[in-house]
Amino acid sequence: MTTAAAALIAAAAVVAYSDVSSERLPAVVGSVGAAGGALMAFALATRWRSVFPFGLALVGASYAVFLGVRNGAVDEWAPAVAAALFVAAELGFWSLERSPSRSEGAVLLRRIAGIAAGAIVTALVGSLVLVVATGASGGVGLEAAGVAAAVLAVAAIARLASRASV
Amino acid sequence: MTPKLGAYAGLAALALLAALATRRPELVVVAAPFALAAAIGLLLARRPSLDAEVELSAERKLEGNEVDVRVALVAAVGAERVEVLLQLPRQLFMQDGKNPVQVRLADGERRELTYRLRCERWGAYRVGRVYVRTHDWFGLFRRELVLDRRVPLKVYPSEESVRNLLRPLETQVFAGNHVARQKGEGIEFADLRPFVPGDRIRHVNWRASARRGELWINEHHAERNADVVILLDSFAEARRGERSTLDPALRAAGTLAARYLREKDRVGFVTFGGILNWLLPTTGAVQLYRIVDAMLDTQIVLSYAWRDISTVPRRTLPPQALVLALTPLIDDRSEAALLDLRGRGFDLVVIEISPLSLLPEPSGEAGELADRLLRLHREAVRGRFERAGIPVAVWGDETSLAAALEEVSAYRRRARAASA
Repeated sequence: MTTAAAALIAAAAVVAYSDVSSERLPAVVGSVGAAGGALMAFALATRWRSVFPFGLALVGASYAVFLGVRNGAVDEWAPAVAAALFVAAELGFWSLERSPSRSEGAVLLRRIAGIAAGAIVTALVGSLVLVVATGASGGVGLEAAGVAAAVLAVAAIARLASRASV
Repeated sequence: MTPKLGAYAGLAALALLAALATRRPELVVVAAPFALAAAIGLLLARRPSLDAEVELSAERKLEGNEVDVRVALVAAVGAERVEVLLQLPRQLFMQDGKNPVQVRLADGERRELTYRLRCERWGAYRVGRVYVRTHDWFGLFRRELVLDRRVPLKVYPSEESVRNLLRPLETQVFAGNHVARQKGEGIEFADLRPFVPGDRIRHVNWRASARRGELWINEHHAERNADVVILLDSFAEARRGERSTLDPALRAAGTLAARYLREKDRVGFVTFGGILNWLLPTTGAVQLYRIVDAMLDTQIVLSYAWRDISTVPRRTLPPQALVLALTPLIDDRSEAALLDLRGRGFDLVVIEISPLSLLPEPSGEAGELADRLLRLHREAVRGRFERAGIPVAVWGDETSLAAALEEVSAYRRRARAASA
């Protein structure tokens, strides 16, 4: 219950930031985010595990819409948004675990510390990515490298997942 | 693999594609934690190797007692989160300890979990099937295994309080604690007789000798043991929820067996019903364990086969044995068998385990009529027993076993007085 509420608060923070900071089409940003939040809440309330990622994706989509309608400047709060989304995802999946077992105090603390550490690492890595991205000059070569990196990242994850499931 | 891995991979892919489409590096930042978590989780994934040892503080316990269970988990390859569930029979209640519990097991670590269980109901159980579910750091992989390390636990029925045991009408030839009809070595005065050569001087009754002018001797009743057979009617039971007529019957059987064995009597045990089970009468503490172990195997098995007393092996019912029948008197076959047993000359006592408290309250005219008919039928059965010379003691919620046995003793005293 606590983890579910915390996940919703983290997601709501992302939606609120996107909506408030949006200079154009704030209603669209807010609507997409609200739909995502509602879907997350529904998934958490009904413990419908497969619906939860769609809610999370909609919350992320509201941030993407905010970025899409934004002028050229880079959003310096992106690492914090990424960290909030990651925390929302971790806490949401935690609350969706159908486990009646009571955790030992040490296990609970390690898990909370792990999520906090994940959020901090996300913020740090995100800041680094932003610094690199804003420092680099554009060009067809760099864009091709970006596309290749994205495709490779997804392919690597898919490959590792298929190997692990065997 | 959990759905979380697919979700993270999907979210990362979506964010990266959106980043490419919108040319926004912020979306790469959003994708990064999900992609990194999935990738690192996949790289670090490994199969945990766990084993368990289960130990009980005692193998035998009485109903209502507590027993400690120690589960030792040994991890050759550990896991970040390990959920441990000790499967327990319904009749064993968790008094102390977390079940299920989530712990962390490092490589090579050994963790001991202790549980305190209360034994709610008699029975033979096997405790120690452990269900284990492991999770990795990111919760991307889940593995389940069952470690079957069951050990036996016997929960014996608790004892009823009994002050005086029923005295058998006939005794056997070995020394015991019952005053026999026969004269012999003992302390209970029986009679006086004139002195004959060979009599011991310490048996001379000096007062009678002085009055009569010749030596007179005190005679005593011998102290002998007896054969007691506990016959448990397992044709049928009355049950309401967790309560059943079988439970008090087994408690009474255990109590009576223990008490008679303490009196040096030979005690036998017969389960007479759908399944016939017997133990030949003998003495000693080992016999008590045999009887209670046989009691734990007792169950009501529905059977329509007519079974009479001739199916019981002859040696199980020695002549002149006191037969204590524990029955709820709800099956005609047990009634016929008991009357047959009495007809064969056995010293039979029926302890009726009353099922009336287990019956639902009669509702409506038909219900009340059925209730009255049932009570009348039971009274008629009791009447048939009494006409055959079988004392019947009713043991229910309102009376104790001791009171029921006293009732039988009084009946036998009255019968003896009437016949004298």
